[in-house]
Amino acid sequence: MLQCIFLLSDSGEVMLEKQLTGHWVDRSICAWFWDQVLSRGDSLKQQPVIASPTHYLFQIVRGGITFLACTQVEMPPLMAVEFLCRVADVLNDYLEGLNEDLIKDNFVIVYELLDEMIDNGFPLTTEPNILREMIAPPNIVSKVLSVVTGSSSNVSDTLPGATASCVPWRTTDVKYANNEVYVDLVEEMDAIINRDGTLVKCEIYGEVQVNSHITGVPDLTLSFSNPSILDDVRFHPCVRFRPWESDLILSFVPPDGLFKLMSYRVKKLKSTPIYVKPQFTSAAGTSRINVMVGIRNDPGKMIDLITVQFQLPSCVLSADLTANHGLVNIFSNKTCSWSIDRIPKDKTPALSGTLVLETGLERLHVFPTFQVSFRIQGVALSGLRIDKLDPKVIPQRLYKGFRALTRGGSYEIRS
Amino acid sequence: MFPQFGATADTLSKASTIVSRIGTDAHLYDDPEDVNIAPLLESKFDSEKCEALKRLLALIAQGFDVSNFFPQVVKNVASQSLEVKKLVYLYLLHYAQKRPNEALLSINSFQKDLGDSNPLVRAWALRTMAGIRLHEIAPIVLAAVSKCARDPSAYVRKCAANALPKLHDLRLEEHSSTIEEMIGMLLCDKSCGVVGAAASAFTSVCSNNYSLIGKNYRRLCEILPDVEEWGQISLIGILLRYVIARHGLVKESIMYSIRGEESCWPKKDDSDVDFALLKNISDMTVNYDVGLASMVSRCYIEGPDEYLSWLSSSGKSYAEQSGATFTSGRSNDDVKILLQCTSPLLWSNNSAVVLAAAGVHWIMGPMENVKRIVKPLLFLLRSSSASQNVVLCNIQVFAKAIPFLFAPYFEEFFIVSSDSYEIKSLKLEILCSIATDASIPLIFKEFQDYIRDPDRKFAAHAVAAIGLCAERLPKMANVFLEGLLALTRQETLTSDFEHGEGDVLVQAIASIKSIVNQDPPSHEKVVIQLVRSLDAVKLSAARATIIWMMGEYSNLGEIMPRILTTVLKFLAWRFTSEALETKLQILNTTMKVLADSKGEDLLTLRKVGSYVLELAECDMNYDIRDRARFLKNLLSFKLYSQGPEENVNISSGRLPHVLAEHIFRQQTSQLTREPVNHRFYLPGSLSQIVLHAAPGYEPLPKACSLLHDGQLQNETCGTDLLGDGADGSATSSGSLDEESVTSDYGSEQSSTVLSDSGSSDETGSVSEGDDNADQLIQISDAGYSHNNKSMDQSSTAMDLGELMSNRALESWLDEQPGSSNQGKSDQNLFLGSSARIFIKDIASRLKPKCYSLLDPANGNGLKVDYSFSSKNSSISPKYVRIEVTFKNCSTETISEVSLMEDSSKVSDSTESSLSSPTDVSMLAPMEEITSLEPGETTYRPIHVCFHHHLLPLKLALYYNGKKYPVKLKPDIGYFVKPLPMGVEAFMDNEARLRGMFEYVRSCTFTDHIEELNKDRSDVLMKDNFLLVCESLALKMLSNANLFLVSVESPIAANLDDASGLCLRFSCEILSSSLPSLITITAEGKCSEALNLSVKVNCEETVFGLNLLNRIVNFLT
Repeated sequence: MLQCIFLLSDSGEVMLEKQLTGHWVDRSICAWFWDQVLSRGDSLKQQPVIASPTHYLFQIVRGGITFLACTQVEMPPLMAVEFLCRVADVLNDYLEGLNEDLIKDNFVIVYELLDEMIDNGFPLTTEPNILREMIAPPNIVSKVLSVVTGSSSNVSDTLPGATASCVPWRTTDVKYANNEVYVDLVEEMDAIINRDGTLVKCEIYGEVQVNSHITGVPDLTLSFSNPSILDDVRFHPCVRFRPWESDLILSFVPPDGLFKLMSYRVKKLKSTPIYVKPQFTSAAGTSRINVMVGIRNDPGKMIDLITVQFQLPSCVLSADLTANHGLVNIFSNKTCSWSIDRIPKDKTPALSGTLVLETGLERLHVFPTFQVSFRIQGVALSGLRIDKLDPKVIPQRLYKGFRALTRGGSYEIRS
Repeated sequence: MFPQFGATADTLSKASTIVSRIGTDAHLYDDPEDVNIAPLLESKFDSEKCEALKRLLALIAQGFDVSNFFPQVVKNVASQSLEVKKLVYLYLLHYAQKRPNEALLSINSFQKDLGDSNPLVRAWALRTMAGIRLHEIAPIVLAAVSKCARDPSAYVRKCAANALPKLHDLRLEEHSSTIEEMIGMLLCDKSCGVVGAAASAFTSVCSNNYSLIGKNYRRLCEILPDVEEWGQISLIGILLRYVIARHGLVKESIMYSIRGEESCWPKKDDSDVDFALLKNISDMTVNYDVGLASMVSRCYIEGPDEYLSWLSSSGKSYAEQSGATFTSGRSNDDVKILLQCTSPLLWSNNSAVVLAAAGVHWIMGPMENVKRIVKPLLFLLRSSSASQNVVLCNIQVFAKAIPFLFAPYFEEFFIVSSDSYEIKSLKLEILCSIATDASIPLIFKEFQDYIRDPDRKFAAHAVAAIGLCAERLPKMANVFLEGLLALTRQETLTSDFEHGEGDVLVQAIASIKSIVNQDPPSHEKVVIQLVRSLDAVKLSAARATIIWMMGEYSNLGEIMPRILTTVLKFLAWRFTSEALETKLQILNTTMKVLADSKGEDLLTLRKVGSYVLELAECDMNYDIRDRARFLKNLLSFKLYSQGPEENVNISSGRLPHVLAEHIFRQQTSQLTREPVNHRFYLPGSLSQIVLHAAPGYEPLPKACSLLHDGQLQNETCGTDLLGDGADGSATSSGSLDEESVTSDYGSEQSSTVLSDSGSSDETGSVSEGDDNADQLIQISDAGYSHNNKSMDQSSTAMDLGELMSNRALESWLDEQPGSSNQGKSDQNLFLGSSARIFIKDIASRLKPKCYSLLDPANGNGLKVDYSFSSKNSSISPKYVRIEVTFKNCSTETISEVSLMEDSSKVSDSTESSLSSPTDVSMLAPMEEITSLEPGETTYRPIHVCFHHHLLPLKLALYYNGKKYPVKLKPDIGYFVKPLPMGVEAFMDNEARLRGMFEYVRSCTFTDHIEELNKDRSDVLMKDNFLLVCESLALKMLSNANLFLVSVESPIAANLDDASGLCLRFSCEILSSSLPSLITITAEGKCSEALNLSVKVNCEETVFGLNLLNRIVNFLT
């Protein structure tokens, strides 16, 4: 049972507190927490569960905002973490972004949302669709209205019908002039290539994102032509387990609007679309770096937004890097980012330069890892293909759209 | 998905926020106090009120205390605008506990809202009302919750379920059974959302009341996939605990490995895991991990106390100790259905649900199916990054207990640069424990990559991991050793000590040490190589380790003894420039070698030794000085004896010699593995993450602990509607059946006379004439036999016989008009006299409850107990008379004992607001006890006026000139006085107090069972039925100051059937002189627990509810 939720800005200021139970949590706990963050650095920020002298703290960080929840008793820690993620998602959705100013400007909405989402430290309504019906998101109309008339209520005065229905994720009476449903396969490629250039691991993490605008309560089935390649799956609550267990078919009543239908993973892929070849040669206190990027296996579509990022080792005093294509940036924390975008036809993009090492160091003995991000539109590298999407009851006109996209996930090349 | 904010994007978004701030509440947050808030709150317009409330909310958000606006805000609670309401509620909940008095002002409005037609309004009102958390309104809230629990709207019912833990938080023991009852009801709700909320209420209110689950276990399992995700988490835990409490652990599961039997390891025909690999691993695991696995399972079942006691008596086998009971997962339906219904949840989108479901399979799943949790858990690592850390912590335990589960998936634990330090080290640890001969080459390759990572701390961890892997897989040790030596060479050259980069080197040498330790003879060269590099290794920790190895393996092979003297000379020469730990090791090693040496080396070593000792004795550090002195004394025979031969001859038998032998010569025994020194906690629990038992952590229930209770429960309540699984434990008729049975007995038909022995024959004949033929014979038989029994009885039967039902008597009288007049007068006389006799008689057996006011341990030997008296106070009817016993348990005389009001606390008592404001003192002055001799006991009656019938009264006890604060707990049963009345008067009053003045609760009564069993042996056996009446009446009268109006009972078909038994009591509330009527109706068999339905009719709502709760409380 959570006792309190705090929202902290990236400077450690408590922007908002919401007490949830009778066990009042003083906000001095935030001061303690922030002291720890300052003294232990970022490693604490990535720790979701922290035991303070008085409370157990759960935290997630989104958009510079720390969501901190406290409890004093045993509870499933993932429940707290997952709930905070949900809060962050909902706020992100409502405020169209997540930063300190947005939270402060809309603090009343944040309070109202929190009050609806959690009751007595236990999650109450977390389904975004229903929340939207209970508390209207701020939009241009309401803003203008509030400027003009000075009053507007964003609190709905009726209980959403879905709270009572057996499909709590869907609002009951939806009407559209055009029925349409879009299915996107959004994939991320994770790969590890070690310093000999061998592929250690290559897999795809993908999500099926659906955006549905259909009148009434539609019942859809989605099937893949090669579902056997899926290694792991997780489903939105709307997906029925039985058809998947028996026939590997997704049968569901979709929520209204955009949602993540399922996430999946395809493991043990053999080829990567891009190669990155880093080379280091050291001599007498300096090190020469040379990185080449090119296409290894052409996926058949344009690869764009290629960026190579790496962290210079702390023993590097200064770096002088140039590239024959694209833009190189070195940030103050010794992170280098080389944005290439598209690989030109006539040359191979290459980055070269010299690194000056600390005095006393003859040669470089630690080497950075290169992270590559890219985007390929129109193709799902896992090879997953959607077979068909059928509504159980066919409305007059249903427009169906399918898209695919692959991005670089944690795509790493060690050197 | 991966927002990468460039510098430009940032400024752009700043610019855009300025635009977007128009029309938001930004100005309210920035400057909440730029206008006067108070007048806005009083405004007529909702919009202005809203603005004021928003400003207050902004102040709350920023941490200011604005509770001084409370009264003005509370007034707005009645507003019709929902937005105002919502904002007021937000404010109210934040401050209600700080301003309880003002918060009470809002109750009326909530109660009005509870009747609103809009479910949203009802739900909000209930949530807020329950959220205020004041003791005073607990009964009202309880009533509201029970009303809302039957609300047509599922949302309101869900809020009702959520409100129950809030009530439970107030720790009102009177209400706990009502709350549990309600949870049971909500668990049966038809809406899945409500069931989920009820499940979480169950977890926080009564997580051990498994009878509530037993009722509809099967249904709960079946709807589990449809319950909303948060409820699923709680429900999974509940179901798991229930199954274990009911059936015990599963024979095929990992928990069975407690027995250490190899049969539980997977069969060879396992399809998914590679055969050869599995064989390898299982060979290894059988030898290696059964201990750990049983440790894990033991930790799951045992609470901290047992764990500690087990640690201290580690000899006994666990299975013997606990006699853990096992069931078969294949044949037990309950287990099967649980596993079946939780397995699709492994695909859930909520990581907490996945982990909870995985926990069920881990504990209950048959060994060969446990692997189905592996992939979903691993997928969590990728798909929800926030929960990665927690999931890894859990995987770590799983992987340690059964490494082969995760062994094929070692790639999942390869480290990526975005991992945080904690995650990296967790992954390394898991990799170490799951590495197999097949996968280690790949893992080793990864480790080599990690060593080159810029994060040196992590690189050091990787090196340490290599050492650990070598311990587990000795086959690979040589490969590792080569790599480590190469690393050592490289690191000695390049490492830069300023940035703590030496960690890698230190770890490398530590890892080498542990590998060498496994098989010293074959690694002689390695030691020599390290010793040679001593010159180059600058890090003190690394040097110390190398020097230790030199001493440890000093007589290994050929070369070592030869170079030893030279190296020691060199070290002695460098001694002063070394760091602390190195110095200590030089000392140790020199002495160790010295103790060992013979022949010509001895002289040289002796010189070196005494030189080092001399230096050490003058060292700045006391540790080194102490060590030097100790070693000097210990080895004096070696250091200063004249010649080698003499030394051997003389000192071999002497103590220092033996000591030295033991200290230095014994080879350190192989520490195969560091002992597991921390506890394991249930998978998915907070305690497992923080590695200590968090408050509220409970291990799994004792296997089959429910069996006994469960049977009792099933029999008494007849609750097991769904029937039972294969084990065929007791089932009985459903509660519905029982109800229908009892409803057959109308009151007219069943009312009978529990007559005294004199009239028993007549009664029998009366009922014969009265009823229809079929039942007649039976009834008369029953009546007859029972009368026979009561005839046999002597005086006890006499007074019990006088518990005569008025109405039954009347009906009898009507039948025999001839004797009616006499009968009536008799009856009146009889009732009048019998009441007195009865009470007097019973009174001798009444055991008024004695409470302790001050126990001798706290009160320096003075023991003060008190009990409520049924006598009325002589001072004023509003006062309660309490008998206080003072006993001197000390050896000295106690003087001037007196009891007074605690004046300091009285004035600010916030609770006084509800009760009528009174300026009378609460405690009538007590006669002072001038002195109390040792062992002496004195009684004093005191007269107390409680302001509130639930809250304790703070008093001060003075004696020997000192003040001791004490608390007098009120007993609502004595806030009434007996109100003698006849049955007609009772009926009249009852008819007047129907509807909202009537409260009913049910409970079970078991006191008489004990009584029955006790009496079985007696020859003069009392009648069961009378005994039930007697024990019920006794129980009531010894716990509350009541008047017994009547006892009525039906002619039951069965002698043993107490259904329809009805006791009536009346009393008058002291403070208001209002009558209060209590009716108890029993149901069930005499020899078993009775279901009682207790009804209270009282004009004072709150008092009545509390009284009812108190009665139910002491009856059960």
